Amino acid sequence: MTPGLEHYLVVSALLFCLGLLGVITRRNLLVMYMSLELMLNAANLALVSFSRFNNNLNGQILVFFIITVAAAEVSVGLALIVALYRKRQTAHVEDLTTMKL
Amino acid sequence: MNASLLNLEIWVIALGLVLMLADFWMPLERKRFLGYAAAAALAMLLVTNLGVCATGTAFSGMFVEDGLAVFFKRFFLVAAILVLFMSVEFSDRLTAGISEYYSLIVFALSGMLFAASANNFAMLFVSIELITVTFYVLTSFQRGRLVSLEAGVKYLILGALSSAFMVYGIALVWGTTGKLNFNELASVASQFADNKIFLFGMVLVLAGLGFKIAAFPFQIWAPDVYQGAPTPTTAFLAVGSKAAGFVLLLRVLFTAIPSVTAHWANPLIIISGITILYGNLCAIPQQNLKRLLGYSSIAHAGYLLLGVAALSASGQAAILYYLSGYLFTVLGAFTVICLVMRHLDSENISALAGLNQRSPLLATTMTLAMVSLAGIPPLAGFFGKFLLLKAVIQQAQVTGNHGYYCLTFTALAGVVISLYYYGGVIRAIYWSKDAPADLSPIMLSGPAKVAIAICIAGMFWIGLFPNVMVNLANEAVKALAR
Repeated sequence: MTPGLEHYLVVSALLFCLGLLGVITRRNLLVMYMSLELMLNAANLALVSFSRFNNNLNGQILVFFIITVAAAEVSVGLALIVALYRKRQTAHVEDLTTMKL
Repeated sequence: MNASLLNLEIWVIALGLVLMLADFWMPLERKRFLGYAAAAALAMLLVTNLGVCATGTAFSGMFVEDGLAVFFKRFFLVAAILVLFMSVEFSDRLTAGISEYYSLIVFALSGMLFAASANNFAMLFVSIELITVTFYVLTSFQRGRLVSLEAGVKYLILGALSSAFMVYGIALVWGTTGKLNFNELASVASQFADNKIFLFGMVLVLAGLGFKIAAFPFQIWAPDVYQGAPTPTTAFLAVGSKAAGFVLLLRVLFTAIPSVTAHWANPLIIISGITILYGNLCAIPQQNLKRLLGYSSIAHAGYLLLGVAALSASGQAAILYYLSGYLFTVLGAFTVICLVMRHLDSENISALAGLNQRSPLLATTMTLAMVSLAGIPPLAGFFGKFLLLKAVIQQAQVTGNHGYYCLTFTALAGVVISLYYYGGVIRAIYWSKDAPADLSPIMLSGPAKVAIAICIAGMFWIGLFPNVMVNLANEAVKALAR
């Protein structure tokens, strides 16, 4: 049996849900951020498989944009998390409690 | 292809790059004045842009220059100019990278300009990300302050989550329809109105946009980020980022999928109503002025959604009118916060005590801004709310949907609640119980006075002579119903 569009989409949906689960349950900022990247890549996988099976290249072009933007986002995000770690010596969300009410 | 339509964007990006380069040669004590230079350059671009009325599309329909885009581009330019004035006043609190701060504001502006012209999901995604990623940096710019970093990290995680939703939504929409262009999508959307995957994808895209405008249930980030971010960033976030979210929301709902949106009146009514109530109720106990304005901005997103829920051209025009009034009102309020709380760490409402003796001009501006936000005539906020509610009631009479009457009632209840906390701010200025600690007069620089005068003039002009702005808004929304 050759894998069809549905198989790829199911994998992509699973990846997306795993990423979402990671963001919701994990408490370490770095792990949460990794899970977010997983969600973006789930979308990339969906785009590429739609593109392959519908014979339409637009989706693959969009994937390039997404990868580029995600790279920019990661560089800013990691810099931010490092800056926070320097200030606070922690990367856990429970410790982000300066602002309340 | 017609690349000359992108002139404004190209100039704005060039300005951002020049500001970054100027950092190398400018002596440290003069760097803060780069902000005035940037504001002047943007003002020049705005004036030149007023004369140009070229319309058309570029990059095979990805980029569209129509009435709506032109309206919002001018809106964003005005906002950025006022925010730059505010940043110069704020710059003594930034330990390093003053010119980077200015250039990031200009880059965020370029993202907003592209958002105003986006007519394609790829364009929508890239312009939103340009705005959001820039705002991650702008939010956490005061690296020495823990609140600023914390606000930045919260914005980062929730912002990245919302963009992941949006990208996945775009993937599903594109996968089912094969269209990225809004106009092409509009011609096939009705065939997919029952397709579950398509609808799910659309909901995910709207979730991403809902995050930008801070609508329920994606509003969690707003209070923390508003409180922690540097004041000019907060102001730009409140005006520019929200307006960019709304222009994209209008384009997606009314250009890309009008046939599907027509069935979504009830969900939109519910989201709008809950957003209004949430923002207003949570604002009541707040002590921190910026946090209070954060909740109030959620409430205002709810009011603006009234115009979306109305699903009519008059509702859309009311959104544009309301946003223009909101621009001057909110920027006036944040300029006052920036000037008054210069040497204070807390930014509490109680710090406004005795402001009427320290600086009558600032006290008046703050009072006018609160009155306008609350929606009391004759200022801009009143007529904006009036137009939004009028559009909703008209639609209720046309469709006979009782949800619209409930929504009108909810919005009026929200206005009544908001009188309480906006009144609290005015009370703190004039009739504060505890004696103010510091009664030294506040010195204002010339440009700060100009910025404040523009805000006051804008509030009164839009409120007292609504015809001009209403006509502009009516012209602009014609672009949506192509």
